[in-house]
Amino acid sequence: MASTGAGARRRRVRSPRRLAVAAGRQAILIAVAAIFLFPILLIISTALKSPIDALLDPFGVFTSWHPANFVDAWTLGGFGHYFWTTVEITLPTVGLVVAVSVPAGYALARLHVPGRRSLYYLFIAGLMVPFFAVMIPLFYELKGMGLIGSIWGVILPGVAGVQGFGIPLGVFLMRSFFVDLPDELSEAARIDGSSELSVFLRIMLPLSWPGVSILVVFVFFQSWNTFLLPLLYLPGAEHQTLATGVYEFSTGRTRETALLAAGALIMIVPVLLVFLAFQRRVVRGMLAGAVKG
Amino acid sequence: VAPARKRRRRHRSPTRRAENRLAFFLLLPAVAIYGAFMLAPFAASIYYSLTDWDGVEKVKHFVGIDNFTAMLHDPRVSGALLHNLVFVVAGTLLTMSIGVLLAVLLWGQPAFGSFYRLVFFIPFTLPVIVVGIVWSWIYNPLFGSLNSGLGSVGLTSLEKGWLGDAGTALPSLVVAQTWALVGFVVVIVLAGLQNVDPDLVDASQIDGARWINRLKDVILPQIAPVITMVTALIISFGFQTFDIVFVTTNGGPGTSTEVLGTYAYHAAFRQNEVGYGTALSLVMTVLSIAAAVGFVGIRDRQHRHG
Repeated sequence: MASTGAGARRRRVRSPRRLAVAAGRQAILIAVAAIFLFPILLIISTALKSPIDALLDPFGVFTSWHPANFVDAWTLGGFGHYFWTTVEITLPTVGLVVAVSVPAGYALARLHVPGRRSLYYLFIAGLMVPFFAVMIPLFYELKGMGLIGSIWGVILPGVAGVQGFGIPLGVFLMRSFFVDLPDELSEAARIDGSSELSVFLRIMLPLSWPGVSILVVFVFFQSWNTFLLPLLYLPGAEHQTLATGVYEFSTGRTRETALLAAGALIMIVPVLLVFLAFQRRVVRGMLAGAVKG
Repeated sequence: VAPARKRRRRHRSPTRRAENRLAFFLLLPAVAIYGAFMLAPFAASIYYSLTDWDGVEKVKHFVGIDNFTAMLHDPRVSGALLHNLVFVVAGTLLTMSIGVLLAVLLWGQPAFGSFYRLVFFIPFTLPVIVVGIVWSWIYNPLFGSLNSGLGSVGLTSLEKGWLGDAGTALPSLVVAQTWALVGFVVVIVLAGLQNVDPDLVDASQIDGARWINRLKDVILPQIAPVITMVTALIISFGFQTFDIVFVTTNGGPGTSTEVLGTYAYHAAFRQNEVGYGTALSLVMTVLSIAAAVGFVGIRDRQHRHG
């Protein structure tokens, strides 16, 4: 199979018409890729500008080299602090989504629950509900609970999935994962006298990592990038996240574009690293979501 | 027959009650958090939208559907809705056509294919706040890359403050939004294309079918379900547009880029019209879901008849 495929490709390249098509295709792809890359190069180049260059020609591409901006952004610009606040919010959000969605998905997939189907639809309906449907009452609810200005006012709604993903995605992914596992596994353990709980903990849970890792990556993206949740529910200077910190910086009186660009990069890099590491899983997860959901 | 028999056997089993109890404990945390922070505020949304609450008063006065009828006479609502429709129609057309075109170009493993796919996808992973900032630099009237690019090819007359001009602000934001979303379409459509039978396409090539016909008649129908789902998602994104407008123009200049999302935000959190703002966001919710579901429905009917 592999050798015929390679042979076919070689034959294709030899024909002059094929060659012209391939060249034209590359020309379009390079041109579009350049346009798509430009804004990203602009952020990198702006982040590396010396103070004078940043004043004279803030958006000229790669006209100076001043990497000390990253140190200044991390310390003076406060992005180090924003970074750790974002970590403090993202880690519990991801952890909680996994911790509650895996058991719930398992129960909905494998256990007898009265009204199981309606409960499942109630959960995944959350994937369709936009944030605006809950944005305003949630503010007053959190205020009543004393959670406005606490990181939990961002974590708990994030876990519930008000900005997408969260528990609705978790239940959807984990249920479909557990449904696909063969019955023989759990039946064999039951016949051996294992309790339902130990079937879940010892047989099913260890098998769930492929599903869990997709969930972790998606919730991480969502939680790290989320802007409206901290903007609305986490006011005040002490708990800025990277998203609100970058926003404040961009609207503030200081027009230190280089530090802003460095801060934006500090925010982007972890997302890009995670994406590069999990590229295949991300694509597979998105496809599952787009086709089934 | 087999599954039904199995279920009946399970019913009679003595462990049935233990199973129920375990299910209860496994579901409880998810139901509690989801109920408290998603279902409860959603229900409260419906209630708030029927009141004229200002966010401070102890009592919420019930006003029936007054908030919704008031929208019919509010010129800011029709303006914002129009801007949402620009995002929905122009944004979806641009995003889908560029995305599908790029996916088809990447199909069949061209050289450096995975590099291109990565480049197209990266903008989608960026936080919208960063997308907004970098595009406001590009559109900057004094130093922006767009103006200096136009200047360098002698089109100085076209230079302007793209986001500060009421005529160009909205299209400029649609372009920025498109840049951020195209990669999503590319990746999904490309994955859908993996299931297309290459032999069919090759046969049509021998027939001499032109490239665009080949795309329209042979390739696209095979990935129609994927295209439908992605389009529906992009349409609902269009109704939910908020961040990109909020961080760049905040609805301005004037109200020339105001969308339902930013108007609802200002009504509720800046002008203390909580009831009205909630009603606005519910209308937005219904529109975004109805448009997406409606689109899928229309496509389904087309397929059954076509």
